[in-house]
Amino acid sequence: MGSYGNFREFYEKELRPDLEMIDRERKAVRKRLLTILAIAVPAVVLEIVLIPGESSFPRALPVILTSLTAIILLGVFGRSFRSEYKTSIISRVAAFADEGLTYTPDGVIPKEEFVRSRIFLQSCDEYSGEDHFRGKRGKTEIEFSEVTAKYFSSSGSGSKQRNEYVTYFKGLFIIADFNKNFKTHTVVLPDMAEKLFGKFGQALQSVSAGRGELIRLEDPRFEKEFCVYGKDQVEARYILTPSLMERIMAFKNKWNKDVHLSFLDSRVYIAISMYKDLFELRPFKPAADYAFLEESLRFLTLLTGVVDDLNLNTRIWTKE
Amino acid sequence: MVWAVIAAAVILLLTVLLIFNSLIRRKNDVENAFASIDVMLRKRYDLIPGIVDAVKAYMKYERELLTEITGLRTRALSHGLSAEDRVVVENRLGGRLSDLLVAVENYPELKASANFLQLQGTLNEVEEQLAASRRAFNAAVTLYNNSIEVFPSGIIASMMNYKRRTFFELPEETRKEISTKPPVNLG
Repeated sequence: MGSYGNFREFYEKELRPDLEMIDRERKAVRKRLLTILAIAVPAVVLEIVLIPGESSFPRALPVILTSLTAIILLGVFGRSFRSEYKTSIISRVAAFADEGLTYTPDGVIPKEEFVRSRIFLQSCDEYSGEDHFRGKRGKTEIEFSEVTAKYFSSSGSGSKQRNEYVTYFKGLFIIADFNKNFKTHTVVLPDMAEKLFGKFGQALQSVSAGRGELIRLEDPRFEKEFCVYGKDQVEARYILTPSLMERIMAFKNKWNKDVHLSFLDSRVYIAISMYKDLFELRPFKPAADYAFLEESLRFLTLLTGVVDDLNLNTRIWTKE
Repeated sequence: MVWAVIAAAVILLLTVLLIFNSLIRRKNDVENAFASIDVMLRKRYDLIPGIVDAVKAYMKYERELLTEITGLRTRALSHGLSAEDRVVVENRLGGRLSDLLVAVENYPELKASANFLQLQGTLNEVEEQLAASRRAFNAAVTLYNNSIEVFPSGIIASMMNYKRRTFFELPEETRKEISTKPPVNLG
C-alpha cells in the first residue's frame, strides 16, 4: 500500500480536507436552491389561488420556470458532486489500494466480454455499468466493474401485455489472466438444483441446454456448492485442480454471495451477484465518513485480492 | 385392459432401450478417458529426451537418475508390457521425474537457463494434464460402475456381461516407496 502506514492516516491527511470541502459546497448549494424553492413554490401557489381564471397561467409561468430550474440545478449539482467525489476521492482510494490501479468512473467491462463468458445465457438486451478499474498484480492483469444486465420480457397479449426489462445480473464482474493455457470453455455456476432438490437435482443438471457436458468433480463439498459444465472432461479437470477448487470455495465464503466463474481463452471471468451500489456518494449523508470510505477500500482490496485468492501468480506451466 | 398391457410393454421396452444406450455410452466414456491418459503419457515420453539432453551437461551428480529415467521410458514404450506392469513403470517414471526436478534446485546455472525453464514448464503442464486425465478416467469409471450395479440398470448390465472396472490407483509398491523416501535436502 502507499506511503501511509494505514488508511486512517491517509484519510486524515489526504482525503478528509477534500471531503469536508465537498460537504461544505453541497450544503451551500443545497441551501441556495432550497431558498429559491421556498420563495418560488408559495409564490406559485398564491398566484394560482388569488388570481382566478385562465390568465393565471401566463402570470405564474416565470415563477414555475424558476422553480423548475431550481430543481434541475439541484439534480445537476448532485451529479457534479458525485463526479467530483469519484474522480477526486475514489481514484485516490484506488491508488492507495494498489499503486497501478487505474479508475474510470463511467467505464464498464465491455458488453461483448460479459456475453462471451456465457456465465448467463439470457439475451442481454440492456447493459450498463460503472466504476471500471484496471491493474496488474504481479504477472496477472485484472480489470473489474459494476455491471447490470437485463433481458426484455414480453408477456401476456393485447391489453394485458406487459413489456419490461428484467434484471438477471447486478453486481461485480471481474476479468483476470489465468495461469494456465487451455483451449475449451468451462463454466462454474452456483448449484441451485442441488440445494433445492438434492440428488434429484443432480440428475436434472445433466440436461442443461447449450452448456456442454456436466463435469462431476471429486470434491463433495465443491459439488454441493457449484455445478460445472465444460466441453472437455480432461481440460476441465486440468483447470479445476483440487487446490483451485478449495480456493474457489474459500473465495465464495469470503464474499458470501453467489459467485459464477467462466474459464475461456486462458482468462477467468468472475461474476459476483451484489445489489449494493459501491463507490457512490450518498445523497443525504456526509461525504467525510471514514467508515464508509474504509468499506470502499475493503471492497477494492477484496477485488484485487482475487489474484492471490486463486493463486493466479503461480506460473509454473507454459503460460508466462 | 389389453391396451394397458400393451402400453406397459411399450414403456418397459423403451426403458430397457434407454438403459441399454446409457450403459454403452458410459462404457465408451471409460474407454475414451483411458485413451486420453495414453495421449498424455505419450506427450510425456516425447518430452523426456529433450529434458535429459538439456540437463545432462549440468547435472554431473545425477547420472544414475538420468540413466534410470531414460531406461524407464524405453521400457514403457516397449510392446511386450502387460497393463499392470505398464502402470508400475509409468508411476515410477513419474516419481523419478519429480525427483529430477527437485534435484535441479542444487544447480543454479540450470535454474537460470531459459531453455530449461521452458522445458520444466511444459513438463509441469504435461504432469498436470496427466493427473487431470486420470481423474477424468476415475470419474468415468465411477459412473460406469454405479450404473452396472444399481437397480434396474444392473440387471441389464449383467445381461450384457459388463464387468466392474478398476480405478487408476497408485500400486502398493509405489505408495510404499514414496512414504519411505528420505526427505530431500534443499539446503
